[in-house]
Amino acid sequence: MNHLKKISLAVLFSGIISSFAMAGEARGAGATAVPGQVSSKSYLKECGACHLAFQPQLLPKRSWEKIMSTLDKHFGDSATLDEDTRSEILAYLITNSAETSSSKVSKKMLASIGKAQAPLRITETAYFKRKHREVQAGVFKRKSIGSPANCTACHPMAEKGNYDEHKVKIPK
Amino acid sequence: MRIPSLFTSVCLFVTMAPGLGLAAGLNAEMTKYVQVLEAQTKKQETGFKGFDAERGRKIFFDARPNDKTGTISCATCHTSDLKKSGKTLVGKVVEPLAPSVNKKRLTNVKDTEKWLTRNFKQVYGREGTAREKGDVLKFIIAQ
Repeated sequence: MNHLKKISLAVLFSGIISSFAMAGEARGAGATAVPGQVSSKSYLKECGACHLAFQPQLLPKRSWEKIMSTLDKHFGDSATLDEDTRSEILAYLITNSAETSSSKVSKKMLASIGKAQAPLRITETAYFKRKHREVQAGVFKRKSIGSPANCTACHPMAEKGNYDEHKVKIPK
Repeated sequence: MRIPSLFTSVCLFVTMAPGLGLAAGLNAEMTKYVQVLEAQTKKQETGFKGFDAERGRKIFFDARPNDKTGTISCATCHTSDLKKSGKTLVGKVVEPLAPSVNKKRLTNVKDTEKWLTRNFKQVYGREGTAREKGDVLKFIIAQ
């Protein structure tokens, strides 16, 4: 009995220690975080001017290729770039696409997308929809939010790749 | 020797003077950019008398039909007070456009050209002419 207690205490402690470690930078291993901050200055400047520079780990390579080859009609807007900048950003996105990541988010995201599909929106993936099933459609349309693509509205640490649901604050 | 050099400087003054008048406060590369727009407009429009902030203001506020938003103008994202921050259609903050409150504005030709091209397409569905770009720049500079 005493022996068992010791073991369970040890398990408990290691659990607490590992959860502290998780709270640090290793949080990337958690289900709601994408490892690493976006590091490409061009990507942050060009794409991040209009919307959050979504972590490349959130979509497969084929999606980024499609997005970056249709910038003249980017969800109805013109987002054209000069060729040097375009290919530089594309290279960054491909080098860091979901396939290259060991994070749970990337793996679950990839698993939720059909092999023949190349979604252009993170918000149209089954994984995104599943994670946001409790959020009613009207919430995304609030003036303070505007669109489901405005991650930062509810996920204050989205820019750092942290989408932890405990950090969520939905604005009125 | 003296006469040709005097002649050259007079010519330079004549060609540059209108550009300098508009581009007050702009750095060298932006001043040159505005001068290029001016030269293009002169070729395209007979009787062109220089860029006009009031015409620029109309271009900025003219609301056009848009599939997503009903109507759209430059002010949709930049707001009607250029000294204030605006918001993109997806909700990201747009820093103020007025150079008087945002020193980074209108300092880089590549950025300025990119945004003029994109945003004319966004609002008007086509690129702006050299005259329209010059007019809207003159309006923004004055803010």
